[in-house]
Amino acid sequence: MSMGKIIAVHSYKGGTGKTLISVNLAAILVRHGRKVCLLDLDFRAPSLSTVLKIEKAEYWLNDYLNGTCEIDKVLIDLSDRIQNKCKFFVGLANPTTEAIRDMTAKDRKWEMRALGRLLALRNSLLNDKAFDYLIFDTSPGLQYSSINAIVSADLILVATTLDRSDADGTRRMLRELYDLFEKKTEIVLNKVLQDVSPKSGKEEAQAKIKDLYHVPLLGVIPCFCDVLRWKGNAIFVQERPEHPLAKILNEIASKIDNDIT
Amino acid sequence: MLEKIRENLEKLNEKMEVMIELQKHGRKDFQPLPEAPLDVMTLLSMPDHLRKTAMTVCRLGRATAEEIAQQTHRARAVESAYLNQLVIMGYLKKERKGRKAYFYVEREGQG
Repeated sequence: MSMGKIIAVHSYKGGTGKTLISVNLAAILVRHGRKVCLLDLDFRAPSLSTVLKIEKAEYWLNDYLNGTCEIDKVLIDLSDRIQNKCKFFVGLANPTTEAIRDMTAKDRKWEMRALGRLLALRNSLLNDKAFDYLIFDTSPGLQYSSINAIVSADLILVATTLDRSDADGTRRMLRELYDLFEKKTEIVLNKVLQDVSPKSGKEEAQAKIKDLYHVPLLGVIPCFCDVLRWKGNAIFVQERPEHPLAKILNEIASKIDNDIT
Repeated sequence: MLEKIRENLEKLNEKMEVMIELQKHGRKDFQPLPEAPLDVMTLLSMPDHLRKTAMTVCRLGRATAEEIAQQTHRARAVESAYLNQLVIMGYLKKERKGRKAYFYVEREGQG
């Protein structure tokens, strides 16, 4: 049995911070000495190629799911981007309009095969290549590709905000999606106004979330205007390790790492 | 000789499980349904008890009722009935190898 774990970062609505969380979580775990593979499964709106500034890839995750290449052809070694001792690989989704169109027009049979290929990553990457973590960045909402990712994962991180429709949708997904697949699920509450969540009220927030969603709260990320100004450039925790956001993301990563190992 | 009897008994047992399962659902004709893709939306729409079995087959790729039962912590006979029901519904394939019956998801065209 493998020791490695697969984490899917998902949300009900877009713009809740999935990509920010996935990229930085991956980078922090690499800095902790873990061997990590970050995969962009948001085929409708790929973003890792931009965030990580990779101009072009020879093979994409699209090709792997199509069954036209193996996973090692897709993975790009970014270990040198992070000052430490361990390995960091990424697999990208093809961001061209043509590829996005192609991926949205797949039928059920294709999606079933894609699920088989995602499930096979546990063997090829966690067992054979000894990765400690696979992190899936997914599309928001009930997309085929996201549900495939959820079914393949060990832990679902749900990024959510205090937005009403987001909270309602997240609650529904917890009941009608993650629960049905019996997946371990944890919440990251993002974009919280500072005055709503004073440091002293941390336990209160924890209880409130537990009451609302019936799952544990992994972390609370306040709204940072300077993070917005950062415009999703590169790996935040690498460039701004002293920023309060980096500290919060570090705490989240440590909780996951301690929980799992 | 004993081995042979045991083998036949097991086959009989399995056939009966299928028949019981079919009767429960009030279906008279024993025709299996046409092959249907076992995708995530199908998994979502299944009753809980079948989803658990189907998910486990997806995860293991190919397994016997015994192996599935070990994962789901339910009785082998129960899993066997559910598995055969999923075969009848067209979601799983079944293959005999000696005394063992293996269940798997048909994903043809996969490398």
